[in-house]
Amino acid sequence: MRLFSQFILRPLLQERVRTATTIIGVALGIAVVVAIQLTNASSVRGFETALETVAGKTSIEIVGSGAGIDETLLPSIGWLREFGGVSPVIQGDAAIFGEGSAGSGFRPRSEAVRVLGVDILRDRSIRDYRLLQIEPAPTAPTSPTPDLTTQRFLEILTNEHAVVTTEKLARRRGLALGGEIRLLIGDRIGSYVIRGLLKDEGPARVLDGNFVLMDIAAAQLAFDRLGRVDRIDLLLPDPEDIHRTLVEVAQRLPPGLKAQRPSRRGEQVETMLAAFHANLTALSWIALIVGLFLVYNTVTISVVARRQEIGTLRALGVTRRQVLWLFLGEAAALAVVGVVLGLGFARMLADAAVSLTSATVSTIYIASVAAPPDMHWGHVVLAAAIGIPLSLLAAAVPALEASRVPPTSAMRGHDMLEMRTRLRPIVLVAPLGVLALAAWLAQLGPVMGRPYFGYLSAFTIVSGASLLVPALMFGLSRISRGLLRRRLGVEGLLAHANLSAAIPRISISVAALAVSLSMMVAIAIMIGSFRDTVVYWVGQTLQADLFIGPGVRPTVGSAQTLSNEVIDAVSRHPDVAAIDSFRNVDLVYNGNLVVLGAGNFDVVLSHGSLLFKSPSNAREALRAAIGRDAVVVSEAFANKYGKREGDTLSFSTPKGPQDFQVAAVYYDYSSDRGVIVMDVTTFRRYYGDLPPTGIAAYLKAGADPERARTEMLASMDEGHRAFIYTNRALREEVLRVFDSTFAITYALEIIAIVVAMLGVAGTLLTLVLERRRELSLLRLTGADRRQVRRMVMIEAAMIGVVSQGIGLTVGFALSMVLIYVINVQSFGWTIQFHLPAAFLVQSSIAVVVATALAGVYPARRAAQLVLTQEE
Amino acid sequence: MPLLTATDLQKTYVSGDARVAALAGVSFSLDKGDFVALMGPSGCGKSTLLHLCGAMDRPTSGGLLLNGQDLGTLGDDALTRVRREQVGFVFQFFNLLPTLTIGDNIALPCRLAGTPPGEADRRVKALADRVGITHRLAHYPQQVSGGEMQRAAIARALAHQPALLVADEPTGNLDSDNGARVLALIAELHREMGVTVLLATHAADVAGAATRVLRMRDGRVEGG
Repeated sequence: MRLFSQFILRPLLQERVRTATTIIGVALGIAVVVAIQLTNASSVRGFETALETVAGKTSIEIVGSGAGIDETLLPSIGWLREFGGVSPVIQGDAAIFGEGSAGSGFRPRSEAVRVLGVDILRDRSIRDYRLLQIEPAPTAPTSPTPDLTTQRFLEILTNEHAVVTTEKLARRRGLALGGEIRLLIGDRIGSYVIRGLLKDEGPARVLDGNFVLMDIAAAQLAFDRLGRVDRIDLLLPDPEDIHRTLVEVAQRLPPGLKAQRPSRRGEQVETMLAAFHANLTALSWIALIVGLFLVYNTVTISVVARRQEIGTLRALGVTRRQVLWLFLGEAAALAVVGVVLGLGFARMLADAAVSLTSATVSTIYIASVAAPPDMHWGHVVLAAAIGIPLSLLAAAVPALEASRVPPTSAMRGHDMLEMRTRLRPIVLVAPLGVLALAAWLAQLGPVMGRPYFGYLSAFTIVSGASLLVPALMFGLSRISRGLLRRRLGVEGLLAHANLSAAIPRISISVAALAVSLSMMVAIAIMIGSFRDTVVYWVGQTLQADLFIGPGVRPTVGSAQTLSNEVIDAVSRHPDVAAIDSFRNVDLVYNGNLVVLGAGNFDVVLSHGSLLFKSPSNAREALRAAIGRDAVVVSEAFANKYGKREGDTLSFSTPKGPQDFQVAAVYYDYSSDRGVIVMDVTTFRRYYGDLPPTGIAAYLKAGADPERARTEMLASMDEGHRAFIYTNRALREEVLRVFDSTFAITYALEIIAIVVAMLGVAGTLLTLVLERRRELSLLRLTGADRRQVRRMVMIEAAMIGVVSQGIGLTVGFALSMVLIYVINVQSFGWTIQFHLPAAFLVQSSIAVVVATALAGVYPARRAAQLVLTQEE
Repeated sequence: MPLLTATDLQKTYVSGDARVAALAGVSFSLDKGDFVALMGPSGCGKSTLLHLCGAMDRPTSGGLLLNGQDLGTLGDDALTRVRREQVGFVFQFFNLLPTLTIGDNIALPCRLAGTPPGEADRRVKALADRVGITHRLAHYPQQVSGGEMQRAAIARALAHQPALLVADEPTGNLDSDNGARVLALIAELHREMGVTVLLATHAADVAGAATRVLRMRDGRVEGG
């Protein structure tokens, strides 16, 4: 222990820059992995927490088939009361429409509230509402009223404009008891009176207190769901009976209704986000792997810099095993500090990552609150369990090297730089074999809907390329000498000579940097290709001049609809030639959430707003589908569920299970959940006449869409608010959403590259220390400090050039796997390959400049070496 | 005018509280074309004196003029320029750069000084011919013998045509045959090129090749 403290800890404290660099590298790697775990958990857990909070004590819920439950069915399921307490529910999201939030600065997402409409007489047994304050009744003063009767609760909610909200929200928004709260639901602004304030308990805790309770009838009116309820919650007196009851209830329910546990909806959301989360997790590991290269580097530096000391220790009787443990101990010490620091960073990174991903999650998937996730012991264990053993593994090679230092040669200091310039065939054959394996793995299909072989193929490509790095560097060294000497003078010649001699040493750093760069290149190509594909798809399918949607964005479990007033305001406009209204509902297909859409196939045919994949005569197939039990499905749906034209789909409708024939498959990049579209006449037959969730308007030739939009908005009364996008604005919006989706990807990549740059600095520092003697000699021979600095900077830049060169090649191969294997298997999308040349050129220059800058500190160290040290 | 003049040269190394006087007032001078052997037991200050004369380090006090330039007052860059233009070194352990070929090693001082490539190549060829290692120019140091390495080191030390050649035990790491050959080569080059030589050794036969001998003991020059 004493030896460890004197021989390892003390030098670590003295070499502050090197120690700090390594610890930061490990910490960043750990932080990224933990942060992504936290972030992924936060989006699902946020939804699940909200679900559990609102579900209260509900044991079983009865749900419909995409569009709630028709109230006329309620008498026929009156028998549910035999099992326990029953409460029909309307639930949805609204936006608080406050003063100063109208007009251009209006942002509904930041104002989201969850609205629950219940029959309070039935619901109080299921959910705990603790009223803190109520509007004064004739006999009672305003005060906490824990013994509030259900009768009084009923009285304050019986008005269709009465709501109860939470004390927390009231405080935050400056709302007062008896005051007004305006809610935007769909496209309708409703004015409500706050009749009571809830304590921060039970459902009031949902979305951090953004909760509004109203009577079920008022909610049906507010959400335009007259004659429907969203679900029926059932409370069993004995929770033990849940399994048996679930089976029994399911058997007795009429067609179109289903019984499930409330947690089922959480599981569906989890499945829906799984692919998105898996890809983020895979990315987060890159930063960690690169961080581990830093541990390798640092322990190598220790071994190299103290070779003579190791020799002395060996001569004095320290065993090889003790030397090995000393250096493994160094790695462990660095890892422990890195893990502790990493957990601290993780929290900060998670906050940033949540804000980067919550936009994606809430825009594309579910309503989520961008709340900082909580860290628990599991994360500490995860960080330690990956950080410490992997650091020891990374340190094993240099530690073994240290244990083999012979006392004699180390004392002479003559074996410092081992010349290993011979290229053995295995160096070439082994990596090529690994790359062939990668190609084979890429051909394999998904496992349980996940592209595990795709990930494995990507990992194998990266491993194969890393193994190939030494051979590539030997080859490059042979052909680049003359060029460097001619172009960069004596410093270029010396840099070339130094790097060529140190290929075994620098190969690991080059491989680490090349791996992170190749991922950046691959992701850039994938995103560039994807973006290009989306731009083309948007161009082909967004044909309407104006798109009208509700003022609140719809999310899973909360449809937002348009009212007749808004539809009239649009269709009455003199420039409008045709309108196509569409309706989306959430549908559970094979246990997963998919989108069921209804559109007017006649309009689709006349305006060509779908881009078909198959069959070749898709338009005729679409025409034939009108009025029949036939649907078109998105490519993501077809790939995920293995369906093609001519196949039959079976799913539950309010009229019971029904078969639909797949008429065609079309390209769609709006949802990876998969979309089924049926003609509006077919939809009405099974789902009734539901209000639309959006409208597309086609204007007469020569009409100005911008003017039409302004006039339509002006013609809407104060009580309505809708989003109207012109064609151009919607295209821009689509790309904005697209770009924000991938912001986290770039952020993760940048971290991995920063860590890799630290690795380059570390490697160069190793080389400088290893070559102390040669550098002194060079200075004796007349090289000035500037020349030495320039030489090291050239070495750094050359490492950057070689790494980026390999990164570009490997990245190209990886992008193929990402585009043609992982994406297809995860999301079911076809992406057209497109090379973002400008980005790749710019990033290559940036990488070379950045690696050269990473050489600044080692260059300074090299130039500062004392000349007259013992030769 | 002498090429090198040392006046009451002192060099003290400080390590913690300990002060070690490596040179305790050394005075001597070298004329152009001198071949001076510096003799003395280990630890007498020979290497320190060579470092100072070779512009590798600065004295703690005293004067040291090389071609009229006071080395004690020069900054790092100026000292580097002095080494690059006026001094050549030969070491006991040859100290060739292992990553460069013998040819590149010899050419290095010319390249660092920015000598035109044609001129540098001509000098390398001429010197390699003169020291007899032309056939080894494309080899790396670890591929040639000790004698050949030292001959290459001598060629490198003379490539930039220095006024002063500093040699620290140049035969100390060679067998007697190779040692004699290297010594003879230094003496011949001294005669042919007129370069001033300051050579540290503790072998009397090596000192015998010199025109003058300076004896050192305890950081002082005893005679010469």
